[in-house]
Amino acid sequence: MVMAVNMQVNLGGLVMANPVTDASGTFAAGREYSDFVDVARMGAVTTKGVSLNGWEGNDSPRIAETPSGMLNSIGLQNPGVKHLCEVDLPWLKAQGVPAIVNVSGHSLEEYVAVVEALEADGQADAYEINISCPNVDAGGLTFGTHVPSVEKVVSACRAAATKPMIVKLTPNVTDITEIAKAAEASGADAISLINTLLGMAIDARTRKPVLARVVGGLSGPAVKPVALRMVWQCHNAVKVPILGMGGISTGTDAVEFMLAGATAVAVGTANFTNPHAVDEVIDGIQAYCEQQGVDDVNDLIGGLQC
Amino acid sequence: MCESEARDGAKAFEERARVISNAYVGPRLYKITLAAPKTAAAICPGQFVHMLLPGFGAHILRRPFSVYDAREDGSIDIIYQTVGEGTAYLTEVEPGAECSVIAPLGHGWQTHEGKSLIVGGGVGAAPLFMFAQQLAAEGRDFDVVLGAQTSDMLVTRADYAKLLGRDPVIATDDGSLGHAGFCTEPVREALAQGGYANVYCCGPAPLMRAVAGIAADVGVECWVSMEKRMACGVGACLSCVVETQAGKRRSCVDGPVFNAKELVW
Repeated sequence: MVMAVNMQVNLGGLVMANPVTDASGTFAAGREYSDFVDVARMGAVTTKGVSLNGWEGNDSPRIAETPSGMLNSIGLQNPGVKHLCEVDLPWLKAQGVPAIVNVSGHSLEEYVAVVEALEADGQADAYEINISCPNVDAGGLTFGTHVPSVEKVVSACRAAATKPMIVKLTPNVTDITEIAKAAEASGADAISLINTLLGMAIDARTRKPVLARVVGGLSGPAVKPVALRMVWQCHNAVKVPILGMGGISTGTDAVEFMLAGATAVAVGTANFTNPHAVDEVIDGIQAYCEQQGVDDVNDLIGGLQC
Repeated sequence: MCESEARDGAKAFEERARVISNAYVGPRLYKITLAAPKTAAAICPGQFVHMLLPGFGAHILRRPFSVYDAREDGSIDIIYQTVGEGTAYLTEVEPGAECSVIAPLGHGWQTHEGKSLIVGGGVGAAPLFMFAQQLAAEGRDFDVVLGAQTSDMLVTRADYAKLLGRDPVIATDDGSLGHAGFCTEPVREALAQGGYANVYCCGPAPLMRAVAGIAADVGVECWVSMEKRMACGVGACLSCVVETQAGKRRSCVDGPVFNAKELVW
């Protein structure tokens, strides 16, 4: 007899049927992968980052393959929050899957305006505030790398948000626990990590950078050890639940993140390699629990023995 | 070959394909034949498959390849040129190897009324061959211009000649066969003679841009197939965007075939 495993988790007020979502930007709003994945089965779908009026994104080339990973500098190309609410969210709601909307902005006001638009629309089930965007008002410095700007943007979004609010942290900092604590103190219901690691690739033959924007974000299996370390550090530093991500390709990878302290996990770059990755990660976590005699997936969270 | 109603919006799938053969056919040019019955039955002219190279270890991204031919016996041919690490590695893949492909992907060539001119530059001749087969099967009037650096790189010439019942118009950069120079000159001559309603072109971007310009000058519609660095292949990641009059669009799902007048070159 197959043991019944409770797969349901609660991510800061967002109830998920299982711990698995996608990493923002790798899955559009779910529809593009619906030939391969039963989207309705996912714990939640996390949408591509959305800004107020849309952004054109960066010049090409926008990606480069690197050992066990890839760099991207898409530049958060998106058609704006109105399009998301009119086109993408109705489709997601029709699938019956919770929608986590990833929110981006180039100013404090823009973040708040996007959250307000989503509150007014009402279809989002949770927000993931991407604080890795450059702050135009601060000369392009990334919001998420300084405690005072993290406090400002998270508090402002908190004041506008009634739904669960996840704050997505950048790993490009000296001490991620300081940032995590600032997000928690400013009203985050959960934190997600890691966003991509800043990197670059060079074509020695042409002596030019591979990416048009020179630098980009590294993702894929190459970043998994860094992500695990940061999830574990944050788990020991804050009380809010963690959405863990960074190089998750299999159920075993996901279990490792949960043992390090993640309540839920996101599958990102692996979708590009294997369009069935999300399904396989859900099945893999379940299979692990069955094999290990774990009847509640929540028992894995922070279960690292060290 | 594809059912016409299955075009654009046909469900994509993953298939485990088996390598039947993988052979050198010309300078830096190879033809790989795969047993991939589901793909062979579903792929439309100008669409592509997204292949995970078998045993390619730390390389996590799939590679997009256009399909040269798809047969009723369930096999497909891909003609590829070695341009980077992935294609160099692919030349070493042995018959019997299994690889994952996702297919059918992209918005391919569509037929239009009137006489057509097919223009294939270099390995760009390959993604047009299934379309030429379709035009021939539907009894449509068309001519073919093929260009390459050298005559030994004209690896699709014999197949096009068999389909047409005559040799295609040839141009070689080194003058070793046909017109000496780029294939833009034969295209200009053909279009100047008149009678063409459509041009379908695939090749290096400067060639497609030049051919689109020649077509526009004489008021002939021109479609081109855009190749960009791609990650997901299904429209999610926004890596492969091209500049169009309507902003940045995805070459993987909005293309790879675009009407040239929509593009900002």
